Amino acid sequence: MKLIYEKSVKGRIGYSLRKDEFEGSIEDFIPEYALSKTKKELPEVSEVDVVRHFTRLSKLNYGVDDGFYPLGSCTMKYNPKVNEYLATLDNFTQAHPFAHIEFVQGNLRLMFELEEALKEITGMDRFTLMPSAGAHGELVGVLIMRKYFEDQGKPRSKMLIPDSAHGTNPASSAMAGFKVVEVKSNAVGNVDLDDLKAKMDEDTAGIMLTNPNTVGLFERQIQEIAEVVHSKGGLLYYDGANLNALLGIVRPGDAGFDVVHLNLHKTFSTPHGSGGPGAGAVGVKKNLVEFLPSPLVCNCGKYFGLEEPRKSIGRVKAFFGNFTVLVKAYAWILSMGPQGLKEVSETSIINANYVLAKLKKYYRPAYDRFCMHECVLTGRDYKEYGVKTLDIAKRLIDYGFHPPTIYFPHFEPYAQETIMVEPTESEGKETIDEFINVMIKISEEAKTNPQLLKEAPHITYVSRPDEVKANREPVLVYKEK
Amino acid sequence: MRYISNTKEQLEEMLKEIGVSSFEDLIRDIPQDLRYKSNLKVKGPLSEEELISYIKSIEQENADFALLKPLVGAGAYKHFVPSVIKTILSREEFYTAYTPYQPELAQGTLQTMFEVQTHLSRLTGFDAIVPSIYDGASATAEAVLMTMRLSGKNRIVISKLLHPQYIETIKTYVAPHKTEIVEIPYNDNLTDINAVKDLMNNDTAVLVIQSPNFFGGIEDVEAFSKLAHEYGALSLQVVVESLSLALLKSPKDLGVDIVSGEAQSFGIDLNFGGPYNGYLATKMDFVRQLPGRIAGETVDRNGKRAFVMTLRSREQDIKREKATSNLCTSHNLNLYAIDAYLSLFGKEGLYDLATYNVKASHYLRSRLLQTGHFKGVEYPFFNEFVLETDLEENVMSERLKSINVIPPLKLSTYFEGLVNSYLFAVTEVFSKDDLDRIVEVLGR
Repeated sequence: MKLIYEKSVKGRIGYSLRKDEFEGSIEDFIPEYALSKTKKELPEVSEVDVVRHFTRLSKLNYGVDDGFYPLGSCTMKYNPKVNEYLATLDNFTQAHPFAHIEFVQGNLRLMFELEEALKEITGMDRFTLMPSAGAHGELVGVLIMRKYFEDQGKPRSKMLIPDSAHGTNPASSAMAGFKVVEVKSNAVGNVDLDDLKAKMDEDTAGIMLTNPNTVGLFERQIQEIAEVVHSKGGLLYYDGANLNALLGIVRPGDAGFDVVHLNLHKTFSTPHGSGGPGAGAVGVKKNLVEFLPSPLVCNCGKYFGLEEPRKSIGRVKAFFGNFTVLVKAYAWILSMGPQGLKEVSETSIINANYVLAKLKKYYRPAYDRFCMHECVLTGRDYKEYGVKTLDIAKRLIDYGFHPPTIYFPHFEPYAQETIMVEPTESEGKETIDEFINVMIKISEEAKTNPQLLKEAPHITYVSRPDEVKANREPVLVYKEK
Repeated sequence: MRYISNTKEQLEEMLKEIGVSSFEDLIRDIPQDLRYKSNLKVKGPLSEEELISYIKSIEQENADFALLKPLVGAGAYKHFVPSVIKTILSREEFYTAYTPYQPELAQGTLQTMFEVQTHLSRLTGFDAIVPSIYDGASATAEAVLMTMRLSGKNRIVISKLLHPQYIETIKTYVAPHKTEIVEIPYNDNLTDINAVKDLMNNDTAVLVIQSPNFFGGIEDVEAFSKLAHEYGALSLQVVVESLSLALLKSPKDLGVDIVSGEAQSFGIDLNFGGPYNGYLATKMDFVRQLPGRIAGETVDRNGKRAFVMTLRSREQDIKREKATSNLCTSHNLNLYAIDAYLSLFGKEGLYDLATYNVKASHYLRSRLLQTGHFKGVEYPFFNEFVLETDLEENVMSERLKSINVIPPLKLSTYFEGLVNSYLFAVTEVFSKDDLDRIVEVLGR
């Protein structure tokens, strides 16, 4: 469809401004060295042009409210509407971050209470709500680990990361100046304990772990892993991407983890917003509290206030984090209550195992084990028909589903044809059955009519955009011809 | 539970089909002694009605911000947000969608990214743009890391009039990389260009100048860029009040190499400081060193124009520890607001809006000076300015509160020695009458 620039008509306006009653002209105030000689060439459109443009754009998108969105490791659960409403209350959205502390007692209370809830859910001692995303939280977490060792006068240079980890783990470690050392997975999809023992030494800060891990499996030997890492003075980092499986069942803080990050936009149901904003939160055990980023919210008796941890790693962004996202996460926790939180995990685990049980005949899983809240299947058996997992994913679109995560994790023995399905607790059996039936139907189509899959999707506005061309000849902005 | 669809009976049925007798069988991998035995001590469950009333009771502990107009900016600007924006942001196809990994189901997101990239290109002069990073501070820190990668050097020279929280964020990000940070002093509310020569050397990766600076001052960015280049360093301009770009020369035309900015002014509410939207812009030569997500134009298999995420080989999910950054989540939802806002105002509207901001703020400053309670040096500024006063802080606060105005920022929090100085911000939310009322209460 047309770009907003292609709808521009000279002289058309979509704005209104209050009357300018001041004297003088702009040249009186802005020095010549700084003032632009021409106006910037933005589009000229009316209000209705803009409204229709975005309404049209929205119809080219697919959200959770449109249907099943089983992206593994992304936890695309339903986003309750009341939370959206609560986050748009005026005193939240119109609050200036530099307003005096007595103006924003409500905001600080909300942050304080949310922190208390997260402490209880994870078993950690203190949280910062500052990070803007999970990966931002990872950076905070590993910077805390770095500073902890520096503070002891014994800086450490390496970080262990399982080969199955999300790409953010090694990237965050590198940003924090660590050398990344990969730990192998074993035949049942868990961390290889021998490899861990061989690599964990006194120059290693610790290990970044997702549990359940990125193939949807619980790390059975988490206590042994903790012992190996702790025995060398290292720390355990918990990547909370998969916490949805453990609410009320296991608290990372009880399992030996020293630092935890949470993705409030995953487990705690705040919407993903076409790729953000989300919000992270980082929890630590007592011995690491003084390294948390500044500022923290404190309950100083009569008032809520702000405090700077004594040996803080510093600031990681301006102001206080993504406040309106925090409102949504807290509202969700309050809606669920203790029993509801546990039901979230139970239901999401049953839903995922149901998908696995029903589909494993058609899409051979990498491991013959029960999974946690997501399962990893593969499309490797369809390669002989010339069908790639990508084709299976694109065909799902024709049936009204958003494809699952594909090609992750992308190492052997998955033959690079992985399909990771995370149904979450939101989905009912009928939806999941429908998905299962379609997946089975596609497996038939792959054998009998592979071309149908290779040309999919057939129903969307565009089909199979040429990514190679986009990469080779980058066109990143619109230019008038 | 209202957000969980399956009933107990359905879950039982599913367990049977899985081939287990109970949920317990499914999680037998989890050692018994790790299980949490008691009930989590969290509030709830609350009914929807109870939830609304509880969260509202918290919200009402805040001041009534709907009534208040802030004379404070300092990196967070209250601009009027047209109603259209709210309508667009509340579309579920935007807010409940994910990162556009499947372009066929995300052309709305991808085209919006592309349009915002184009808007920012028109404002900054550059063609290589990352439209959405968490906020201006983290975008600036990413930009500094980028200059260190590009130059292979790790000495950075920063104006002391860069937003103090941005400076702190840079310090956090570069801390692991043995970086030498040098701060440039200021003089009459502008960065002291005469001091820069002594601070630069050939080991310097970047010279960082905010313009308009933290005091609202419009810097001679071109002169700083020239100096940076003389020493083989890159020139980075930070733009916190992006509305200024409607009037001011494009950073590219000022010889800048990279711009990092905050786009909160373009249709994003104050939100107590977040979510906001950071961005980066630079020349195409540097495009492969940019962190984060970029949309690109291409064609689909039928030759139709299509948009995709592009230059992905820089990103963490592909390059892992060798990626340009760890960015994974952006603040994409805000891009719909920014796209709509810049389209609504457009070429003429944004110019007029910026002009109003300049004239209103200059009006207030000159009227406050006339009261005799304020003094300050002359300097070119956009919509924020510094004045010193003989009024007591609490007197000023009380008088402003009585007319529903949030007081300006007390600068001594960040700048030692500026004991009675305040940073005032004036945007289009203030009418001339509003400003006259402020002058009246402060002039007594």
